[in-house]
Amino acid sequence: MRRGRRTAPPGPNLVEAEIVAALTSSSLENRLDSIVGSGHVRAPRDFEARAADAIVEPHSVDQICELVRMCEVDRIPLAPVGAARSLAGIRRSPVALGISMARLARLIAHEPHDMTVVAEAGITVGELNAAIAGAGQRLPVDPCKPNLITLGSLIGAAHSGPLRLSEGTSRDLLIGIRFVGHGANLVHGGGRVVKNVAGYDLMKLMGGSFGTLGIVTEATFKVRPIPNDYSLAIVPFALASEAFAAAYILNDALPLSNLDILSPGLGRRFDSDHRFLLMIGFSGSPLEIDYQAERIRDLLRARGEILEGDAGLRSYELLRDTDFYPAALSAQIAVPPALLARALEACGNDIEYRAHAGSGVAQIMLADQQSPDDAVHIVARWRQAAHAARGTLRLLAAAPEIRSSLEFFDTPNEGALALMRRLKAAFDPVGIFNPGCFVGGI
Amino acid sequence: MSLIDRKLLDQLREILEPDGVVSRATELKVYECDGWTVEKSVPDVLLLPRTTAQLSAILAALHRSGIAFVPRGAGTGLSGGCLPLNAPAMICTSKMNRIVEIDLENRRVVAESGVVNLHVTNAVKSKGYFYAPDPSSQVACTIGGNIAENSGGPHTLKYGVTTNHVLALELVLPDGEIVELGGATDERCGYDLVGAVVGAEGTTGIVTRATLKLMREPENHRTLLAAFPDADTATHAVSMIIASGIVPAALEMMDQLIIRAVEEAFQVGLPLDAGAVLIIELEGLEAGLTAYADEVAKIVSAAGASSVRLARDEAERALLWKARKRALGAVGRLAPNYATQDGVVPRTCLPRILRVIADVSRRYDLRIGNVLHAGDGNLHPVVLYDERDPDQVRRAIDAGREILKACIEMGGSLTGEHGIGVEKIGEMALMFSPDDLRVMTELRHVFDPMERSNPGKVIPQPGACVEVAAPRRQVPI
Repeated sequence: MRRGRRTAPPGPNLVEAEIVAALTSSSLENRLDSIVGSGHVRAPRDFEARAADAIVEPHSVDQICELVRMCEVDRIPLAPVGAARSLAGIRRSPVALGISMARLARLIAHEPHDMTVVAEAGITVGELNAAIAGAGQRLPVDPCKPNLITLGSLIGAAHSGPLRLSEGTSRDLLIGIRFVGHGANLVHGGGRVVKNVAGYDLMKLMGGSFGTLGIVTEATFKVRPIPNDYSLAIVPFALASEAFAAAYILNDALPLSNLDILSPGLGRRFDSDHRFLLMIGFSGSPLEIDYQAERIRDLLRARGEILEGDAGLRSYELLRDTDFYPAALSAQIAVPPALLARALEACGNDIEYRAHAGSGVAQIMLADQQSPDDAVHIVARWRQAAHAARGTLRLLAAAPEIRSSLEFFDTPNEGALALMRRLKAAFDPVGIFNPGCFVGGI
Repeated sequence: MSLIDRKLLDQLREILEPDGVVSRATELKVYECDGWTVEKSVPDVLLLPRTTAQLSAILAALHRSGIAFVPRGAGTGLSGGCLPLNAPAMICTSKMNRIVEIDLENRRVVAESGVVNLHVTNAVKSKGYFYAPDPSSQVACTIGGNIAENSGGPHTLKYGVTTNHVLALELVLPDGEIVELGGATDERCGYDLVGAVVGAEGTTGIVTRATLKLMREPENHRTLLAAFPDADTATHAVSMIIASGIVPAALEMMDQLIIRAVEEAFQVGLPLDAGAVLIIELEGLEAGLTAYADEVAKIVSAAGASSVRLARDEAERALLWKARKRALGAVGRLAPNYATQDGVVPRTCLPRILRVIADVSRRYDLRIGNVLHAGDGNLHPVVLYDERDPDQVRRAIDAGREILKACIEMGGSLTGEHGIGVEKIGEMALMFSPDDLRVMTELRHVFDPMERSNPGKVIPQPGACVEVAAPRRQVPI
């Protein structure tokens, strides 16, 4: 090793029994009560139980700072939870303390003429969009079930959906952030203007960091106008390869809103004939809609059907809400777009998937329970398929019984991983922020 | 500060070809500044590697001797980002200028960091693709420089800035280690270190290679030129366009001083009596464009435009863009020197900030022209001065500061696309708290614990009173 300071100090090994003992002790409960107010420390519900042993519901940034200060002193691991689906899917064991953001869910400012919105991290994407729709605008990110996805989760778990093809992801839209970091400091990066390169880009760091660097409390996003009209063409194919070939032709020909392929098992809601479904979303003025519909019919020789208006939007919402979290085993694969069909084929013919064909990203799953050994082999096959296509794979969820033997994230190359470890050590020197479930055991 | 001794110089000569090490004072003079000409400082040695391996070997050698360095692309930056400050070695990537791979199927290009921005688009244009960030200096500026500054351009309103278009990077850390960051898609594996390096102004090491996204050319364009009696009316029209739900690909503004300079230089037919013009570019499907262009024309007319002209053909469109992108060059005819600022305000504050700038211009007795990426709220006041008059230099710097302060007071930013450099480092504390700056420093130390890569940039030194009113090292003219 050439560099003196490259290896991060190992995180503190929190002995689980100690934590449980500490948490069940009345003194801790009293302290939590005194920080967030009695009635706001509670047992986890549903999904939350897999993410955290206890849930606290702060209602101010100051209270989050207090919680972080206490947890650093007592070395209590904590993690922010929204609906807790992302962390519940991947944590091998719960953290001691889940910070629910449910009481930090205000829309702080929407400036329609500036096309920006500022909100607390606990508001869901669905609530936010309902609040700004009246001004004809939206935050154009569309994770599965947006009423369950908080802004904190959107950023931390890097959720996205079909619209990533035309609108990008939260990475492209996030322009300002506030988070509570180590030392209980409230830190901010970026700002409220759409173009801003002052200072280091802390927004990018927090994006996809799964709560391992701090607790996001507030975010500022660019928003976009809601298109006048939207239509969705649904075109069935007997073979996946045909669906992908058609998708690539369309993606080259038109600036589509979304372009997705559902495997037969997931396409059942739209088509009873067990076929691969190509779902082509397009939007714009009535003239643009007509033109694109004609081009699509032309390029696909009038196959399939085109759903207009509300019918199109309803089917799009079903597509968006295709849920991979309840599956026994699910993952997201990301490869160069032209290699996606081949990579999915290499994952095996037993999977179901939703492929964002123009973006090279797909979610894949096995609905049925697997044995731990089988699960290891399956994930190895998926990972090999992703890597053979120069891409990456991360697990979205795995049944609790098989979790301990699985690697949820790819391991970055050695040089990048060393930097990531140093970053974690710098931002979380005590090791309390959602430890142990990110890349390389971070 | 460590200095470069003969032994180290010999080592560097051994690593590079003979023409890769420049140490003669007369040749180094060219590298004394970038587009921020207020401050000047000549490096002790200029190094011109041709390969990543050479660059890595240079940095390892400098590391062993504890020598700081400053990376440089084409030197077109406007904030003094590549001004050497306590950095004896300058490393220029201009000889690392190969486009390594073009992959149209996956819409990406792998380019070395010394490749000129426009050369990327030129390499794929015939197939209907382009690289979206289009800074006005795109005929000269390099991909590496764009990555350091997170450069934008007129079309960022639709496409975003450099960080939205970089998938992967090869980075040489300040100790010479080569690391690969990012991957095949926007889905990162672990922390988004690409996002941390882009816009870090060369303080995390030197980028040698980048995988860039390509965009598909839109079916067609409509480019409108709208003239207004004054800047206030023009900025009002900008708000009206945005309020209509139409998002142009570009929405640019020039005020009277700039219009006259451009017209004198290029004779593109800009209305000389106008107080301001907007260049509004719409793009997308031909099927919708005529209707959108008609609507925009109606909106700007209702907002008070005195005339609206639609570019008839590609030649006229190109002429308008030439006028816009060379506006700063044209200003060079009006005064011996000019300093281009780069503030941002919320779009709705454009009328207010332009009034502030007019007031500053009067009070400091300096001419200030305005070029704006109006759709983004990003303004470039151009302060004219004569560097032979020390009082004018001081007034130019103070005037710029006052404008930036006003931007921040309106909820804006010190920089939209030019970077902090040395120019705005004194104002960082107006935007960020000591805690913010401490965390940013911690991030920088992840890559560069000894602060040897472009020292003295982005983050002000704690407790240091940054005073740049007098150039740090005045070079005789």
